[in-house]
Amino acid sequence: MALAFILSPLLVIGAGALLLMLAEAFGPKHNRTAGLALGCTIVFGAGFAFSVGAWLYGVEDVAEKELIVPWLVIDRFSIFFDGLLCLGGAIAALLAGGYLREHEMERGEFYSLLLFSTVGAMMVASAGDALIVFLGLETMSLGAYALTAFRRTSPRSAEGALKYFLLGSFAAALLLYGFALLYGATGHTDLAGIGEAVRAGGPHKTMIIVALVLVLTGLVFKVSAVPFHMWAPDAYEGAPTPATTYMAAVVKAGAFAMLLRVMLTCFTEKGLMSWSAGWPPVLAWIAVLTMTVANLVAGQQESVKRMLAYSSIAHAGYLLVGVVAAARSMPEATSSVLFYLLTYTVSTAGAFGALILCGRKGAEAVTYEDLAGIGRRHPAAALAFSLFLVSLAGIPPTAGFFGKWFVFRAAMDSGFYLLTIIAFVNSVIGAYYYLRVLVFMYMREPAAGAPVATPMKSGYVAAALILSAVLVLILGIVPSQSLDVAIKAASIFGPPGG
Amino acid sequence: MIGTYLPMFLMIAVAIILALLFFTGATFLGGKLDKTPEKMKPFECGSESSGGNHLKLSVKFYLTAILFVVFDIEAVFIYPWAVQFKNLGWIGLASMFGFLAVVVVALVYVVKKGALEWEN
Amino acid sequence: MIPVEHYVALSAILFTIGGVGFLVRRNVIVALMSIEVMLNAVNVALVAFNRLPTHNNAHTGQVFAFFIIAVAAASVAVGLAIVLSLFRIRRTVRSDEADLLKN
Repeated sequence: MALAFILSPLLVIGAGALLLMLAEAFGPKHNRTAGLALGCTIVFGAGFAFSVGAWLYGVEDVAEKELIVPWLVIDRFSIFFDGLLCLGGAIAALLAGGYLREHEMERGEFYSLLLFSTVGAMMVASAGDALIVFLGLETMSLGAYALTAFRRTSPRSAEGALKYFLLGSFAAALLLYGFALLYGATGHTDLAGIGEAVRAGGPHKTMIIVALVLVLTGLVFKVSAVPFHMWAPDAYEGAPTPATTYMAAVVKAGAFAMLLRVMLTCFTEKGLMSWSAGWPPVLAWIAVLTMTVANLVAGQQESVKRMLAYSSIAHAGYLLVGVVAAARSMPEATSSVLFYLLTYTVSTAGAFGALILCGRKGAEAVTYEDLAGIGRRHPAAALAFSLFLVSLAGIPPTAGFFGKWFVFRAAMDSGFYLLTIIAFVNSVIGAYYYLRVLVFMYMREPAAGAPVATPMKSGYVAAALILSAVLVLILGIVPSQSLDVAIKAASIFGPPGG
Repeated sequence: MIGTYLPMFLMIAVAIILALLFFTGATFLGGKLDKTPEKMKPFECGSESSGGNHLKLSVKFYLTAILFVVFDIEAVFIYPWAVQFKNLGWIGLASMFGFLAVVVVALVYVVKKGALEWEN
Repeated sequence: MIPVEHYVALSAILFTIGGVGFLVRRNVIVALMSIEVMLNAVNVALVAFNRLPTHNNAHTGQVFAFFIIAVAAASVAVGLAIVLSLFRIRRTVRSDEADLLKN
């Protein structure tokens, strides 16, 4: 029974997905999708509630969880991600409820796909075996590919989905070959077993290093870090905006859960963790590249949606700084990464939501020009948008500030001064293109003859924005409680080399 | 080393020799081929060949085929379970029923959505 | 007995062929096939490693291969659907002609 309870977030979302799929097929012919957005949000809400319940119940003393070890590892880390992923999913579902109706592409599959994909992400977060990592990853990605291609008449949607699919599958194949080599070298597919065998050393040093390169490449692909980011802007721009929200929030969080879990469990051998011959310096270079390239390119975008896509890549860079620090001082820095993910999820989901709010049917807000003058005519929409952008830029008193603060402090504490300075400079550069949106909203008038964008009216979108705005402010003003949760979640990783 | 591959090499050699034998045999024993256009046409069971080589297939073929492949491969998981049925016990049975339930839900969905209806 | 190393070499060659094919060819269908070749290389490696005497005959590798086959089928279903929908709109299966999205 206790086992069912600590597994409940996963089970609730899975069962909810199946039920929603049937409800969509058997529901009334007319107005079939009416309640689906609400149903989907409720399922996500239930998933979140059960995660909180499981967190409060505690997972350390449940003896029955040995039954599912090593396939699924239910610990504070996985429950934290269960809650985070459900939260991101709920916001995406609410946004979809408004967006899909407004743009007349409401088909019920969207909501089932959201739920199934989230099941995959949750599997990844609680995976204790390479097989489950792969299954979860594919479940998550297949859902995301389908969501990207959801706008069936749009060539951009199909094209973005195609690039996403091809590069995503390629990355999965690299990751898998790495796992296969690890299996050959160690005889284990469970992550803990691999980690132990790698630490014990053995005759297969070369094979393990080749496997490390392959696994790391696959993972870096999935978190969309430079130089393996090419798919991300295209997929993000082509996808319908709620699907973009979902990818930027949930899929990215799932990918980082995978990165942390795999790297900090499998490759913790002293040599592999060292600064001279291990993976942390490689990841540090990738982090620097990711932040710099993404920020520079984001500044040149004319489309706000594409700018937000590059911004999400840049944030992957800041997160990687935290991961690099985690390789040196594990639980402390890992907790900062988890907290950053939390703040990033609510901020980015809110920003995409505000972009949705500013568009109407036939006049989706895409470019900076589309947003001109909206500050004076529709102050509420502009205010919401500003709040999320300020949070993404990392300016207090919003969530983004503390997210960056903790990650940078963790990097400083681990002795990565240069890396922290680069990250800080980058976040200053980043502020430029976020604030540029504010300039357009408040200080520019639309070109002569062009109409001012009118926000859509939808209870769903409003609810999503209010939810994210409240969370952004709570995390930005009183972060200590959520930080405690993140610290507890990260405590499952022991000190490095141990 | 060579010994383990020997049957394979023998097999390849026999295949090559047989193929050569038939080809040379056909050239010597058969009559001369006069290349009339009629004879150079692809042979389609004796009837007139029709249409170009870029045959347009309905998307329905693709849909049915892909659904078949996906459901077919799900069956793969039942075999190892069946072999180990006794050892896996009730937990194994329950897991397999859970798995099958998901597959059945998917099947019901596919049928209800009309993906298997051939006409229209 | 063919030594395991030979299988692993085969799988490495297959994986390289698939990887190079994916990166070089511009036809989407060929790219899809290349990914399948890569996944099959993984399967060969897993099944071969499974026979190593040190891997105590637990069939982990074989079961892993089953799962890869099943997931590959599902992902090809999604992939082909995406290719079809692109083809319906753009009338092309060449990835360099899919170029609407650029910075």
